[in-house]
Amino acid sequence: MSDYIASLHKISKAYATGHGDFYALKDIDLEFREREFTGIVGPSGSGKTTLLNIIGSLDLPTAGEAKVMGLLTSQLNARQAAALRSRHIGFIFQTYNLLPVYSVYENVEFPLLLLKMKPEERKKAVLAALEWVGLLDKQKSRPAQLSGGQCQRVAIARAMVKKPVLVLADEPTANLDTENSLHILQTMQNLNTNLGTSFIFSTHDDKVIRFMKRIVRLIDGKVASDDYQAGV
Amino acid sequence: MARWQVMIIRLAFRNIIGSGWRSLINVLILALVLIGLIWAEGMWFSWLNLAKTQQKQWEYAAGILRARSFDPLDTFSWEKGYAAIPEQAQKYIEAGSLIPVLFSPAVIYPGGRMQSAVVKGIPASQQILRIPSQGLNGQEEYLVPAIIGKAMARNTKLQVGDTFTARLKNSDDAYDALELQVAQIMNCPVPSLDIGTVWIDLDSLRKIKQLPEVATIMVMQSPGLARLANQDFRHIDEKEFFSDLNQMVKTKAAGQMMPFSMLIFLAMLAIFDTQALAIFKRRKEIGMLSALGMTKGQIIILFTTEGVLYMLFAALAALPLGFPLFYYFFAHGLALPPGYDSFGIAGFDEPLKFHYSIPLTLATVLFLVVLTAVVSWLPARRIARLKPTEALRGR
Repeated sequence: MSDYIASLHKISKAYATGHGDFYALKDIDLEFREREFTGIVGPSGSGKTTLLNIIGSLDLPTAGEAKVMGLLTSQLNARQAAALRSRHIGFIFQTYNLLPVYSVYENVEFPLLLLKMKPEERKKAVLAALEWVGLLDKQKSRPAQLSGGQCQRVAIARAMVKKPVLVLADEPTANLDTENSLHILQTMQNLNTNLGTSFIFSTHDDKVIRFMKRIVRLIDGKVASDDYQAGV
Repeated sequence: MARWQVMIIRLAFRNIIGSGWRSLINVLILALVLIGLIWAEGMWFSWLNLAKTQQKQWEYAAGILRARSFDPLDTFSWEKGYAAIPEQAQKYIEAGSLIPVLFSPAVIYPGGRMQSAVVKGIPASQQILRIPSQGLNGQEEYLVPAIIGKAMARNTKLQVGDTFTARLKNSDDAYDALELQVAQIMNCPVPSLDIGTVWIDLDSLRKIKQLPEVATIMVMQSPGLARLANQDFRHIDEKEFFSDLNQMVKTKAAGQMMPFSMLIFLAMLAIFDTQALAIFKRRKEIGMLSALGMTKGQIIILFTTEGVLYMLFAALAALPLGFPLFYYFFAHGLALPPGYDSFGIAGFDEPLKFHYSIPLTLATVLFLVVLTAVVSWLPARRIARLKPTEALRGR
């Protein structure tokens, strides 16, 4: 495996439209190392989500090479891509995407069931993840009984429970107020520091940007800048 | 069972419970279809069994040896449709374990009207079949006692004590006549022994036909007597004897199943619609499951399992919901309206008490489970074509 957990080389993603191809991403070259806390920043339509999807092996580039955990995503079949996501990548979505019929505990437990983990190990991991996000007392609640901030914390616990190498968070604070956003970001920052998990965010929220160690700015599908912030 | 399979069943279960009224309505519709199917199968199963039992009691016993010259489907063969009784069969006839019966086409004149009939001669002393042949004893000089069935009495307007003439051919192809008197009107549940049939003592028929020691059929008391089959008599086994009945019940059952087929179709349409709608409405969930690492195959199995669970819930619901109906028809039976006996098959003379075959019921449930699985799988296949990124955006 290379030093990078994800590396993108000359990545382009085009969508066919009535007026020819529309490029969501153009010639992107990026590498992501372990323990990074990266924000993909840019206005709407700049290609942030597309980039996350390619890193998360949910989508394939039209051109270029995407390597995740040393694996060329274009060479993975659907089952292998699912296994890659299941083992190494956690996802956090803007709209939480929790299973409404499951309790908080069951939602967090779900990825571990896909990993075929033993029940006692599973329980330990779920309780630990709920403790990280401060929701141990809500484990029997259903998502509908929680606030937006609490739902997003459940989503973080679900992404973190399998201790993935990489967590991809697509606009995780877009639906939250300032207080909840800060709480969520602090939680993720702690997990990044304590567990060494890499986080890649897509965002255009200034509150989020302040927390990032590295900021990759996208404009019109191209990398406009790639900077590390001092003092974060 | 693998953990992910347990997880899928648990998630499918929760999704169904979580769907509330929509699930309840689906389950109720499926349960009603299942109750209807079990009821209908109970009816056909019970009817077939009753018809076979009655035919065995009244006509077939343990088997029949039939003259090879007699073809039941060719009425022109009936005049000469008999054969000499084999010598080795005589001792069984004398012992009463084999009953020779002679058929003769005839024209009868009840009340001066002319009507075609078959006169059947049976030993008055026989005790194998339920035909009340003892009533054929006590012949006066010119009046031969005859037994007819209720349907025949209705058709001919004959009553006990009435006399009528029967004209038939003897062995020389010469017409002769018998003066018959209705000794008894029997309540026979087998229409083929009733409609168009006049029963008289075998000796009387043989005498007028001038055919001693012949028979059209020989009814066996025990299956072992099938060995008496020879070049003149062939053994008719149960499979052959009941083939027409089986076929007829099958055909009628298929016809009667039409409304149930429509119900099944509508129920499956409801399941298909629910599943198709679920896949449309739950795209984000599909995308999320995919992002979490579920394969498309596993997601398809999840949606298919939800459909199958509807059916399994319906089967559970059908037990308490259907029990009163099933029990009523088991205890009180189904009284069929007049005219049903014109079906020409046994089993219609009394309220039909239902019996339910457990293997048949289980097979019905299994059939519906498989059908539901297929109907749920069909829309779920679309998941395979769904891109995770588009699903996550709810497209």
